[in-house]
Amino acid sequence: MADIGYIALLLALVASIYSAIAFIYGVRGNHRGLTDSARNSLLAVCGLLSISVAALIYALVTHDFQIEYVASYTSRDLSLTYLLSALWAGNDGSLLFWAWLLSLCAAVVVLQKRDIGKELMPYASSIIMVTQAFFLILLLFVSNPFYKLAFVPAQGMGLNPLLENPGMFFHPPILLVGYVGFTIPFAFAMAALLTRRLGDDWIIAIRRWTLMSWLFLGVGNLIGAWWAYVELGWGGYWAWDPVENASFMPWLVATAFLHSIMMQRRRRMLKVWNMVLIILTFSLTIFGTFLTRSGVLSSVHTFAESPLLGYLFLAFIGVTLFGSLGLLYYRSGELKGEAEMESLVSRESTFLLNNLLLVGAAFAIFLGTIFPVISEAVRGVKISVGPPFFNQVNGPIFLAIILLTGICALIGWRRASIKNLVRNFLWPLVAALMLGIALFLLGIREWYALVAFLVCGFVLSTIVYEWFRGTRARHRMRAENYLKAFLGLIAANRPRYGGYIVHIAIILIAIGVVGSSFYNVEKEAALMPGESMTINDYTLTYDNLDRYETESKLVVTATLSVYNQGKLIGALIPEKYFHRTYEQPVTEVAIRSTLIEDLYVILIGWDEDGTTAFKVLVNPLVSWIWIGGVVFVLGGLFAFWPERRKLPAPRKDGATRE
Amino acid sequence: MGLKKLFITLILSLALLPVTPVMAESTTVGDISKQLICQCGCNMVLSNCSHAECAVRDAMTALIEQKLAQGQSEEEIIQFFVAQYGEQVLASPPKRGFNLVAWVLPFAAILGGGGVIYIALKAWVRRGRQSQTSALAEAEEGDEEYQRQLEQELEEFTGRGFR
Repeated sequence: MADIGYIALLLALVASIYSAIAFIYGVRGNHRGLTDSARNSLLAVCGLLSISVAALIYALVTHDFQIEYVASYTSRDLSLTYLLSALWAGNDGSLLFWAWLLSLCAAVVVLQKRDIGKELMPYASSIIMVTQAFFLILLLFVSNPFYKLAFVPAQGMGLNPLLENPGMFFHPPILLVGYVGFTIPFAFAMAALLTRRLGDDWIIAIRRWTLMSWLFLGVGNLIGAWWAYVELGWGGYWAWDPVENASFMPWLVATAFLHSIMMQRRRRMLKVWNMVLIILTFSLTIFGTFLTRSGVLSSVHTFAESPLLGYLFLAFIGVTLFGSLGLLYYRSGELKGEAEMESLVSRESTFLLNNLLLVGAAFAIFLGTIFPVISEAVRGVKISVGPPFFNQVNGPIFLAIILLTGICALIGWRRASIKNLVRNFLWPLVAALMLGIALFLLGIREWYALVAFLVCGFVLSTIVYEWFRGTRARHRMRAENYLKAFLGLIAANRPRYGGYIVHIAIILIAIGVVGSSFYNVEKEAALMPGESMTINDYTLTYDNLDRYETESKLVVTATLSVYNQGKLIGALIPEKYFHRTYEQPVTEVAIRSTLIEDLYVILIGWDEDGTTAFKVLVNPLVSWIWIGGVVFVLGGLFAFWPERRKLPAPRKDGATRE
Repeated sequence: MGLKKLFITLILSLALLPVTPVMAESTTVGDISKQLICQCGCNMVLSNCSHAECAVRDAMTALIEQKLAQGQSEEEIIQFFVAQYGEQVLASPPKRGFNLVAWVLPFAAILGGGGVIYIALKAWVRRGRQSQTSALAEAEEGDEEYQRQLEQELEEFTGRGFR
């Protein structure tokens, strides 16, 4: 099996290099046959990588421990789900998974029926194949997932118990789809530069690819946050860990890109800027992979350190960045925007500001992430850049971004007169101020939180107000009832209203983040059975300690009865796992979640005399983050979902091949 | 001018907000351990060390507890840890010396970028005014006008699969 997998990789490398070259020669020399064969070998790459992935999965499922990768990340007692997820548990396997995803995307690109951007396709495919070849070289010569040991171990090392969580099945692959997907918009952007087809075609061709990757990256991060919250046992969901940052940066820049391409479409502005953004996004995705795999910065996410892999990634980033920016510079004369504006106060200006702040936030995170390295190089002093830095620097930037979201929707394209500004801002501002007063009276006195909630309320009311006005206008003009008018309105332009839904999601998440970071309460207590502790309105009574064994681990459970203002509301059972194959025990927290707050209980340890130590947290509004995540997916899908074609595209030939 | 004001407010708020000391009645172990990085190699904030059992975390936490009990101030305790482990024990770089680069550069970059945008916008508006001398009628924006504008925006956006 190992040999089949490896040989498939080798053949895939040959095919991808051939495809990359043949696409260019075929399209330059106008050889139809050559481009067709390039296209076929691209599909062959996809087929070969699928074989390779299948071979690795087969080896994982059949416990072929002679393969080092299988022995390192699985064991016989692992369930099928985790055997499969071992595909991305380690460096080599996840690189193979990456390469496979890229080949799938490439196959979709060439198989897609497209009317727009047809001329870009060969160049874009060629660029994708170059990237593909890079990853195949890594797989073949640096991190071979099919590396065979000289002996056959009787048992594998098993999966890190921290990874035994449903999150493992969703978080890595979803995130990777996001990462990999950005290769496609980048490739089309480069194709546009190479072919001098610098109009809107490339943007139209990649809008949905970008949206998809952006959506996956966002969802992947949210699932990661949820996983950290329920599994890592410190009550948080985001640690500003270098690798989290690495996946957040391309998401921020891609968010800027998704907004600024609207400006190019509408106003023929920012053509160079859009190129810069997509180049940055792609480079940041590769930078993220570099951070995870090189061991330059330590993080919970890092795979085994491999300096060689690090250098190769660095070289690839260097070539990509300088190559593409150089090409952009070379073509910049042809990318002159036709920028004209009627007024400084217009939606265009707010879009520019939004772009500035999103990229600014990404820059702040970038700087913070690599600052330890800079400090060591400049001063020779090791420092850490942790959550306090990122929260303080990014807090105000994000607040400003959210505020802009609201302002933007209220300012029309092209220009806004004072009169309609006042008219548009009045009610949302009134609503926000009323919310602010209400919150103040309710006892929210932390001014930063108050301002943040006020901003969220303002933006939420701008969106509701905008929807209401649209619905009312439609209701009056078309004599439709309100519901029909509303549905008609949002169906008329799904990207626009999908975007608004995503804005609502971001606000829900922001409310959750503000609530849980400013108002969390934490308490530790050592209790004897029968004793109680109180935190906020909750009283927790420690009942007993228990233990049971499973095939792979010993589980210790502590049962606590939870009372809210004296009324029994249930039991919480935090646990601790002692895996046979793993030195470190794993904490399983117990969470009681409501819309208002989460009660979060961690079992710390116990003494022989029966005293048991707990850490208990009350995290307000955390569930809003997860609800926001669901809304985010819904809004994104709403914007992404293909339009029903109004006119079926005429078939050129009656044949059914394609 | 509305935008200018808006812009200035935004920038000012950016510059002012980062200096927000969190007030606390008395220092707790939690307050201090939030400012330190666990030295076990997990690279997390002390109170968030991802290991279920961590001797380093427990030792550091016990030390904070002990020093607090001795009546040492937050400042003193943190200085003690810096002397012990070096600057890397701090969860965020102190705002002085070379570290200021990390604290200030993001905002400086945003301000600089804002300046560039402002200049570009001015130029674009000038160009727009020259090419388009006929001023747009500032119609009373009633429902009719709003609906017309909305429909137009929706329509403009619909073209060529770019939805």
